[in-house]
Amino acid sequence: FKSQDFKTCSQSGFCRRGRALSARASESPSWRSPYSVDASSIALSSDQASFIAAVKSSIYPDVKFSLDVRIHDDGVVRVRMDEVDGLRKHYDEAASWALLDEPKVSQQVQWKVGKDGVSAVYGAKKDVEVKVAFEPLKVTLLRNGKEQVVLNNRGLLHMEHFRTKESVAKGKEGIAVPEEGLDIDDDAQVVLGAHPRTAWFEGEQEDSWWEETFNSFTDPKPRGPESLSVDIDFPNHGHVYGIPQHATRLDLPTTTGENAHYSDPYRLYNADVFEYLADSTTSLYGSIPFMHAHSADSTVAIFNAVGSDTFIDIGHPTAKSSTSHWISETGILDVFIFPGPTPADVFAQYTRLTGTPALPAHWALGYHQCRWNYVSSDDVRTVQKRFDEEDIPVDVFWLDIEYSEEHKYFIWDRKHFPDPVDMIKDVEAIGRHMVVIVDPHLKRTNDYPVYKQATELGILVKKGDGTTDYEGWCWSGSSAWVDFFNPGSWDWWKSLFKTESQGEQWSWVDSTVDTGIWNDMNEPSIFNGPEISMPRENIHYGGWEHRDLHNINGMLFHNLTSQAAMARTDPPKRPFVLTRSFYAGSQRFGAMWTGDNLGTWEHMAVGVKMVLANNIAGFSFAGSDVGGFFGNPEPEMLVRWYGVGIFSPFFRAHAHIDTKRREPFLLDEPYKGIVRDMLRLRYAMLPVWYTAFREASVTGLPVVRPHFVVFPQDENGFSLDDQFFVGGSGLLVKPVTRKGATEETVYLPAEDQVYYDYFNDYAYRSTSSKGKEITVSAELHQIPLFIRGGSIIPTRERPRRSSPLMKRDPFTLRVALSSDGSARGELYLDDGETFSHQQGQFVWREFAAEKPTKKSKGVRISSRDLAAQKPAEAVDHVALTTYDSSNAFAKDIADVRVEKIVVLGLPAKPSSVTIESGKELRWTYTPGVASSDKKGGTASVLVIRDPKLAITGDWSILVQA
Amino acid sequence: SKDRLLGVSPDLVARYVPTKKGSAETWQCLDGSKTIDWSSVNDDYCDCTDGTDEPGTSACPDSRFYCVNAGHIGSYIPSTRVRDGLCEPECCDGSDEPEGVCPNVCKQVGEEYRERVKAENKLRKTGSKIRSTYLAFAQKEKKRLEEEIASSAQEISAREKEVARLRDLVERTESLSAAALEEKKSSPLYQSLITHHAALKSLQREHKKHLERETALGEILDQLRTGYNPNYQDMAVLEAVRGWEQLAGLPHINDVGKEDENPDELGSDESEAASEEEQLEEGIWSTEQLEHQLDDLLATDYEGLLIEHDKHVGAPASPTSILFNLSAYLPDAVVPQYEALRDQLVSWLELLGLAQSKTDTAADTSKAQKTLGDAEHNLNLARREKEDKERELSRLFDPEWYGPDGEWKKLAGTCIEKESGDYVYEVCLFDEARQKPLKGGQTFSLGKFAEWNNAEGIEKGSPAYYSKQHYTRGAKCWNGPQRSVTLDMSCGLENAVLSVAELEKCEYEFKVTTPALCLPLSASDIKREEL
Repeated sequence: FKSQDFKTCSQSGFCRRGRALSARASESPSWRSPYSVDASSIALSSDQASFIAAVKSSIYPDVKFSLDVRIHDDGVVRVRMDEVDGLRKHYDEAASWALLDEPKVSQQVQWKVGKDGVSAVYGAKKDVEVKVAFEPLKVTLLRNGKEQVVLNNRGLLHMEHFRTKESVAKGKEGIAVPEEGLDIDDDAQVVLGAHPRTAWFEGEQEDSWWEETFNSFTDPKPRGPESLSVDIDFPNHGHVYGIPQHATRLDLPTTTGENAHYSDPYRLYNADVFEYLADSTTSLYGSIPFMHAHSADSTVAIFNAVGSDTFIDIGHPTAKSSTSHWISETGILDVFIFPGPTPADVFAQYTRLTGTPALPAHWALGYHQCRWNYVSSDDVRTVQKRFDEEDIPVDVFWLDIEYSEEHKYFIWDRKHFPDPVDMIKDVEAIGRHMVVIVDPHLKRTNDYPVYKQATELGILVKKGDGTTDYEGWCWSGSSAWVDFFNPGSWDWWKSLFKTESQGEQWSWVDSTVDTGIWNDMNEPSIFNGPEISMPRENIHYGGWEHRDLHNINGMLFHNLTSQAAMARTDPPKRPFVLTRSFYAGSQRFGAMWTGDNLGTWEHMAVGVKMVLANNIAGFSFAGSDVGGFFGNPEPEMLVRWYGVGIFSPFFRAHAHIDTKRREPFLLDEPYKGIVRDMLRLRYAMLPVWYTAFREASVTGLPVVRPHFVVFPQDENGFSLDDQFFVGGSGLLVKPVTRKGATEETVYLPAEDQVYYDYFNDYAYRSTSSKGKEITVSAELHQIPLFIRGGSIIPTRERPRRSSPLMKRDPFTLRVALSSDGSARGELYLDDGETFSHQQGQFVWREFAAEKPTKKSKGVRISSRDLAAQKPAEAVDHVALTTYDSSNAFAKDIADVRVEKIVVLGLPAKPSSVTIESGKELRWTYTPGVASSDKKGGTASVLVIRDPKLAITGDWSILVQA
Repeated sequence: SKDRLLGVSPDLVARYVPTKKGSAETWQCLDGSKTIDWSSVNDDYCDCTDGTDEPGTSACPDSRFYCVNAGHIGSYIPSTRVRDGLCEPECCDGSDEPEGVCPNVCKQVGEEYRERVKAENKLRKTGSKIRSTYLAFAQKEKKRLEEEIASSAQEISAREKEVARLRDLVERTESLSAAALEEKKSSPLYQSLITHHAALKSLQREHKKHLERETALGEILDQLRTGYNPNYQDMAVLEAVRGWEQLAGLPHINDVGKEDENPDELGSDESEAASEEEQLEEGIWSTEQLEHQLDDLLATDYEGLLIEHDKHVGAPASPTSILFNLSAYLPDAVVPQYEALRDQLVSWLELLGLAQSKTDTAADTSKAQKTLGDAEHNLNLARREKEDKERELSRLFDPEWYGPDGEWKKLAGTCIEKESGDYVYEVCLFDEARQKPLKGGQTFSLGKFAEWNNAEGIEKGSPAYYSKQHYTRGAKCWNGPQRSVTLDMSCGLENAVLSVAELEKCEYEFKVTTPALCLPLSASDIKREEL
């Protein structure tokens, strides 16, 4: 980590100003926000729950602000404030890139204007109230009269208005420079030194208003100060989560207050951080300014739609309350308040706004084998051959930057890749895919058609002068960057990925329609730029400075590449595009990974937390480089890292060019065998993962879920981030990330429930009062994995070389009876690669186990059609009104059967097991502990041998005691 | 039934028969762990823990499926490939997939296979003929080396005698002249000369050290310049490269804008600057002189010089000098008498040891010593030569060197090369591998021959042992290991490098063919062809 390359708050002018403001406020007992609503200006919309009003600042009486507050259909509150008739415009487009659609404003909820403020009451039980206080301006969301979210609670709201640099002219005439710009119209008030009317609030120093130097870089700041500060408090929530991406705990530690855990605020400024620290608030590659606040009573959240450099201070004035202070370099105030009250509600509200994670291609959930670099077509073929010789499953082979000639992406280095399409087809012949990297920096040479065309189209990012193409340094040497904010770049970029010749227009004919794309370096990473990125004064489309939209830049590249991949075929196929940089909304475009981690145990452990943090911020398709990008992991570490990887939504091994090769087939025994078994476990569980992704794509519920999401009332779980649940399956896992571990302690949530060890069927019992901590064996070949009682887990247990080859394989159902003797589970299947599921081409089943009668010791296990029950909730993007259970996809897999049903925790040996229609089934029973027993012990196991029931069919099996 | 036997290999067919007890037919898993219904064999459900009840399906992981491949050779595939929708090349009869999915192509595959085997055998046959010439060569080498060692031994013994004779001579002369020389050496001039010599020598050593450091630094920086990895995302590296380019007068690399402008112009400023040489003071040595003449200067025979010096400036002020020169002051008439008297006197003095003999014994000693030195040098050379030959002889049939039949001896020092990317890769067998840039720059050693295949479980002297050679400890990579090469060798009619790959940073793999690996065909090889 090169800390000197990146700014701390104290090295950043606007953050210094923001923190100083906060310090002044906390020191002054009579502190009061200067912002107030002009009650006389309130204009309620006649037909929807929105109003606008004028806002005044007592320190700048002549500067005008406007407030716009809306309540959406789903109860989400949007608060916008902007300067009106200012010298310039503040950047107000961040939300437009993040949001899926323009949200619908409620037509039911009514605002009421009172003497001190405007308020509205809504919700099914009329338990939610939003209050906008006039003086000072304050927005409060309450539930049952209890404060949930309070904006400007501590009076830190401040929008620096645009001013001119008068001081320069004054300085030239030899007159002392006024410290304060003051109102431009108000010449009479220009005084020497700070003006008392503003100094109490803005401070006495004109701190880095017009220029700022960091290392050898000087930011000219031609527009002067325009930062935004806002405090958002959660007076009744003791935990805050989210605001990825930081290498830290899920339950965010404090940065302010006594005994603050960190001294610097959390920073969101997408950056290529070399060898980042495993425990820090420094910014990383992506930014999602979305934060949950949680208590046993409720969960709420906020999304601060800002695209500029942002620092966030977090405090817990008490164990039961939280504060946050958001300091951004530029932009308008545009905050969304999510009322919850459950985590599931928050996910639904947030993803309705910014989109749910796209349902990935099924193959993308398999194992990805990457390395910087597989050096030739022959190398790729040999690696594939070695995997097959060792019978280790793998779905994807990746090519990093060295495939390209002089790092001119798309252009193959023919010396080493003479036959790219044949190579890709050799990989695709086994049902596999290739992913090839395309980075955003374009080598500045006219023999590179992509650069040449971008120059001709005039769509490159400009220098601060707004006219000269910006030149920076990256892998390709002297490089330029496409301005994807420019609509003129969009169709052109999409055309580049076409695999058929486009005539005059260059396109990537040396690729296939199934080739995945990897977008790296899109922060953007610029080796000779300030903070290894783009100068902030660079100019984008519309005249916006780079500083306004920096954090959104990476998402646009990802967005367009994803669209380009989709545009290769008609009808389109699901694109696979991996990104390093991201923003709120990036979940719609593909997967992300946690960047260039180190091969250390600390990084392995924090990777799990970072993936969870991304998952609760709407971006489920996440993973960390297995093995660590830098360094040579010893076999133990590599094996454990695979244990982490098989439980990551995105599962890819990757390695730096200087590292030794470490593909699983290179390992010695017993390591190789352990990794093979782990990979086979991942593949066996693909039905669980895919089903979880369907749920995420529709409901926004994360694919991997920390305890607080699943058990929002269990306080013991609020800070847990090293164990988690896989979707709604009921699988609880704690990957081992400690060197030399032979045991692990696992926390079982506070509920009266049984948890079965996945591998040996041991039944552990938790209690509703305080949960239970258990210690289990965790030797190198073991992963603590449990099935929560009441779950049915569908798996495919036949190992194959790649996931598409499993398409016709039968299923095993693991029925883990709950303490009351029941269970349920889900399975979602479709063709895994097209969008035909949006036309009803899919299968969505529910499996249930219930007692036939209340006192029965038997169980009825049945399969029902969920899609027919809830067609509108089956797939994302379309609310199907009907579902045809004999659709072509379902017919195609009609012969796929259930080959085995395992029932855990029956109270007694069955007397018979029959298909409900009457046919006797073969079965074996091993006595053991029943699901309802008070004691732990190895559970009873009933194995029903090959019932030959269709996975797509309705059926039931009666197990009689 | 036929289905129950699907995927069973011929040697196991006998064990796939049901046990009948009344109407019930049962079968025991091959490991004996369980008895199951005969109908459960190959019913696509795994009953046996050893997986043997499902030889024809994918139900049991890690089991094997046997494809009969009538018309070709039968082969096994892992159960993971059974009924996965793909036609396995190993199962040309298509039996791994449901009927109608994969056509039976065994006739064609079998024919192609036999053709291939035939071609391979032909290659081996031809190759093994070349190989047999290598064997013959080794035998000739053996004879040659043995003869040469014998003649070396004779030469050595003659030279030893010569050295002994010369040493005796030197010792005798030395004892005569030692005292006189010691006396002369005490001269302050001589002492000062020796001190200067020592100082100069030290300076030269330091200078060489610095030159070596500069070269090493230059190499590091050259490597940095050509091989640096923008991955480090470190502008400091770029600055270093730029700085080096300026200092060393190299053109800017990887700099698109500048290359486009005028590549010819680059570096010309620097060379001009370099040609503007410093005006040297008279007598001051140039770099060239320092490099080439300093060693000669330091090799000066000071003792010889001392004697020369004596001659040059006349005899030192020894007791005899006045006597010799006195005649110049005497009247001519008395000179003859004086000379007679003087000679008498000198001989007395010499007898008393007060004056030194005029005879030039010091020069004689130095000359004798030189002759002895030369003789000793030649003796050592002869000995070393003999040792080298003995080593070559011992390696000739050493399995760790030229193989039990000496078949590799022929290739020792044979250099083969291949152009790949921006380099020519060369290996001189049993010696060194190198990377030679095509576009100018430094040649790097990729390592020296170290050993044959060192993989675990490879038996020394086995064919697999000779299929790989390791060259290690080449030039160190910037920010990486020392370069190394593994030769992956197979039978071929020519000694050639087929391909070069750098699979890991600075670790190369050359695919090489050589007749030395074309073993003669065995009976089974020939049989394979006829199948």
